[in-house]
Amino acid sequence: DALLGCHRSYRSRPTHGIGKFKYLLPKELPKKRKEKVRMKEIDAGTEYQYGDVNIQMTSHDLCLVEHFAQYVHRLCNRLSIRVNESYAMPTKTNEVLFMEERGSKMQLDAVLTTHQRVIQVRGLSSTFAPILLEIIQSSQPEGVHLLMKEHTEADFKSRLKARPELEELLAEMS
Amino acid sequence: SAAAPRPWKLFGAMCLVRLPQITQPLEKVEEEMAALMQQIELEKSHYSDHEIRKLQEEEQLKKKKESLYDEDEARGKTVIMAQDLEEKWEQKFLQFKAAPRITDADKSNDRTSLNRKLDSNLMLLVKQKIGNQELWLLPQVEWQPGETLRSTAERAMATFLGDHIQAKVLGNAPYGIYKYKFPRAIRTENNLGAKVFFFKAFLQSSDLSQAELKADYQWVTKKELGDYLKSEYLKKVNRFLLD
Repeated sequence: DALLGCHRSYRSRPTHGIGKFKYLLPKELPKKRKEKVRMKEIDAGTEYQYGDVNIQMTSHDLCLVEHFAQYVHRLCNRLSIRVNESYAMPTKTNEVLFMEERGSKMQLDAVLTTHQRVIQVRGLSSTFAPILLEIIQSSQPEGVHLLMKEHTEADFKSRLKARPELEELLAEMS
Repeated sequence: SAAAPRPWKLFGAMCLVRLPQITQPLEKVEEEMAALMQQIELEKSHYSDHEIRKLQEEEQLKKKKESLYDEDEARGKTVIMAQDLEEKWEQKFLQFKAAPRITDADKSNDRTSLNRKLDSNLMLLVKQKIGNQELWLLPQVEWQPGETLRSTAERAMATFLGDHIQAKVLGNAPYGIYKYKFPRAIRTENNLGAKVFFFKAFLQSSDLSQAELKADYQWVTKKELGDYLKSEYLKKVNRFLLD
């Protein structure tokens, strides 16, 4: 009958599975929630290699800091230094109050925002690290603070938000 | 057999660098580019809060003038106008005076002071006696067995500038090496010549109030090094100096 006419392909038919496409897509692994904190830190004897070095740039001027971070990133690319991560820390807003005590007391407010960009670099050899530092220092723009230090767990934790509910539950459990 | 005595004498020298305090003046191309970018950004940008407030108050003023008996006057606002704020800020800005950029072009090339040439690196040169000659060199001291070359360089710095200098030495690896052979008259089997290892350090604090031991010292930029150093020495030193 025409009503019962179905064009289902049985498994023996050559057209079985004609509409499948998922095998063509790249395979997605199930996402892990926890991030791994520690990476290797190599400190050999004569051939020094720093493990993870953080280059932190702080400034009040947003565009300047961003452009400088981009410049440092591209510099590392060209010098074939491996860049692990390049991220931004949350901005801090400061309110500056001026108390003028000549004549009438007035309060002038100024709002200053501090921005910070961090570039994490791995595999710096000790002969090259000071040269890199000097290059970055000599091309530092006005008003930008530069800080180069080794990556510690505290640095990693400062990026994560504290979870008070989780901590309360843990405290209740134990 | 026992280790053969090395015929080379080792020296450790310290290149003390004072970092530039000000940015270098922009070149013409850079200035034009900066002006162009600023104009583009200005034309593309939106109004900020302050500017919106200013425009609104201007409109209110106009309305008040046209329609003289406005009801708004009855409210009696005692709000500081945006225009007044701007004028206050302008006055404050005029009171601010920046420090002069060319401090010691006035001092007519006093090369012993650190305030010269605030926009470029300054290196320390010292007059030292080697053999019979008095030469201008980076401060150097002979290496003694049992200490690292870096500590030799630090000792060299300490002998010429006193102990309390805040200088940060960059790493344990030397930056350059200069070797020379002694003239034939002094050469013996054990003493062929000398090798000088250069280290680099950044000066952290810019006041050298402590007395300097040797009177002949100068702070020199990279271009002026050529006036003082010998050509071979200069070649090796120039290799590790950034401008």
